[in-house]
Amino acid sequence: MLAAGAAPAGAQGFDWQSHKGTTINLLFNNHPWSQAMRDLTKEFTAKTGIETRMDIFNEEQFRARLATLMQAHSPDIDVYMSLASREGQVFDRSGWFADLQPLAKNAAATAPDLNLPDFSKGLMDSEMVNGKLVALPINMEGPLFYWRKDIFAKCGIPEPMAEEDLLPTAEKLKNCAAAHDMGMVTPWAGRGLRGILNYSLTAFINNLGGDFATPDGKPGLCQPKTLPGLELYAKLLKDYGPPGALNHTFTQVVELLGQGRIAMTYESSNEFANIVRFPNRASDLGVKPFPPGRASGINKPVVIGWGISVSAWSKQQEAAWMFLQWATSPEIEARLVDAGVAPPRTSVFNGPTFKAWTAQLPIRQAWADSLVTVARIGTSVYQSPTDRIPEARDIIGGAVQQIVLGQASAHDAACAADAELAKLQ
Amino acid sequence: MLFAVAMIVFPFGYALVLSMQDFVFGHDAHFVGFGNYVRMAGDPQVRLALVLTVELWLVSLALQLVIGTWLGLLLARMRRGRGLARAVLVSPFMLPPVVVGMMAIVILDPSFGIANWLLGLMGIAPRLFLASPDTVILTLAGIDTWQWAPFVALIVLGGYLSLPSDVFEAAAIDGAAGWRRFRYVTLPLLAPTIVTAAVLRSVDLLRFFDIIYITTAGGPGYASTTLNILAYRRGFEFFDIGYATATMVALAAVVFGTTLAFARIRRAVRW
Repeated sequence: MLAAGAAPAGAQGFDWQSHKGTTINLLFNNHPWSQAMRDLTKEFTAKTGIETRMDIFNEEQFRARLATLMQAHSPDIDVYMSLASREGQVFDRSGWFADLQPLAKNAAATAPDLNLPDFSKGLMDSEMVNGKLVALPINMEGPLFYWRKDIFAKCGIPEPMAEEDLLPTAEKLKNCAAAHDMGMVTPWAGRGLRGILNYSLTAFINNLGGDFATPDGKPGLCQPKTLPGLELYAKLLKDYGPPGALNHTFTQVVELLGQGRIAMTYESSNEFANIVRFPNRASDLGVKPFPPGRASGINKPVVIGWGISVSAWSKQQEAAWMFLQWATSPEIEARLVDAGVAPPRTSVFNGPTFKAWTAQLPIRQAWADSLVTVARIGTSVYQSPTDRIPEARDIIGGAVQQIVLGQASAHDAACAADAELAKLQ
Repeated sequence: MLFAVAMIVFPFGYALVLSMQDFVFGHDAHFVGFGNYVRMAGDPQVRLALVLTVELWLVSLALQLVIGTWLGLLLARMRRGRGLARAVLVSPFMLPPVVVGMMAIVILDPSFGIANWLLGLMGIAPRLFLASPDTVILTLAGIDTWQWAPFVALIVLGGYLSLPSDVFEAAAIDGAAGWRRFRYVTLPLLAPTIVTAAVLRSVDLLRFFDIIYITTAGGPGYASTTLNILAYRRGFEFFDIGYATATMVALAAVVFGTTLAFARIRRAVRW
């Protein structure tokens, strides 16, 4: 499948300085990877003589800017971050991706040590869209279960081993917080904004045996096996979450967790570095994959990876491709580990730098082990079948919000959402 | 003329053309005539967005006109320090909306905002502010009023200072004071100024977007999804460009209609 895995014929003609003097424009989403890149790109310039102009926007604004420029066929972007699992189909049909395979096969444009097969196979597969290689992976991420070991110990409550344990655990934590004058600590926090909560919701649904789709590929939110996960997610937010949870995204969840205001959450592995920067969190937090369903035995969380793509409208695709190679090289990936970016290259993940870094703190080791598990068992599908993915996720998130707000029962909200989702198929 | 065509007529004409297409990124665009407008008429989200847009506009405008007029008249009476007060009043609307939005998040967040902490000190139960569908519109109106009521105040101050003083002297001789003087002398004389302020604020309020987007992104639920937010999300998040453009054209029509209505009101209150 991965024709792009083929290495170029040889090093003949390849020269990092071959595009010296050109300038490439980079458009990135605000992400630990791009923040780290801000400091590192001067090394790219030193190595290649290629100047870079980098714009970093928050995710929504990033997408708006990208869509505007790409739809105008603007050559003002050469490299951009992409999430093929979310928008790969739409971007490809719009003709926004340059196919990287011809570049990868061009010996004059590709470093001999690029070694595409070194990238995690799952991540590389997700970067293949309609037979094209549309990006190189820059990270691997998925939501992880974080819990405050000290609070659990103080309350004499065991960590949840199955998804079914979450609700009773939250109840016990609530009672314990009241009894021990920990009024500022809420048992749970999670994403409540409708467009982004699917990322966390998916494991809730999957692990209790549910699915976003029916066996024949129709929207399946209203299925009897899917409803319990939906209800549980909403109930935790409503009865055990912080006030105002429906406006919360990872920013607020990380802030609350960092400040020691919540006892457990299910948030992105990407936020690990930000979380453990808060005092004491590196020592009092536990991290692991989301608990599996006890009755179902299923454990199927989300795992995704951002990539970097070359614009189809770029006038400097070879220079842009050079940036991709440098930014995803083992040397750079190893240095990004400090920023909490999980390396997508197998050699780096299993390499001495990453291992030494994880060995420094038990929680880092737990984080790395969790990522290995999530990469093995995870899915990048977290909505019902459609190519209008952002809209579908918004509809599903809207159903959760209706349940939390008490505007509809889980059954009614889910069935109404299914009717809307069917229109997107 | 060329500038007007290039900068106004062409973009608006292009928007009209787009609004008549079924155009979703990744799919072929095709002409649907008024299909998007018909779809809007039957779309409950558009109806809700229109109601919320009007609600936010009316609540904010009322608050800003009342508070702005009061502040303006208060400034007019100041004998000393008016320049300083004016400089202080200018500062909120000099702030970029992003800053105001971020400030609102930090202050009003129910979990770590200082607003609830201050309410707690006064023995008042915590509020959800932007996080409750029941209070989000009022809170957004409050934020916008904090930023823009001073603007109305400065307009009113300018209008008041330009009024003929003999009218007020005659009113004083006739015994008009306090509320009666305000109701029967000051307010009618200031009416054209206040209507001008209302027009300026209405155009802005109907297009109100940035602070809503930063603080709630249209939530919780759809409780602050105004027409602007709805169109933005449909266009830039769901890539449904034709429908989003139709929504924006409809909003532009509302803004244009409102401005025309105010122009008529202004003529009616002219003295």
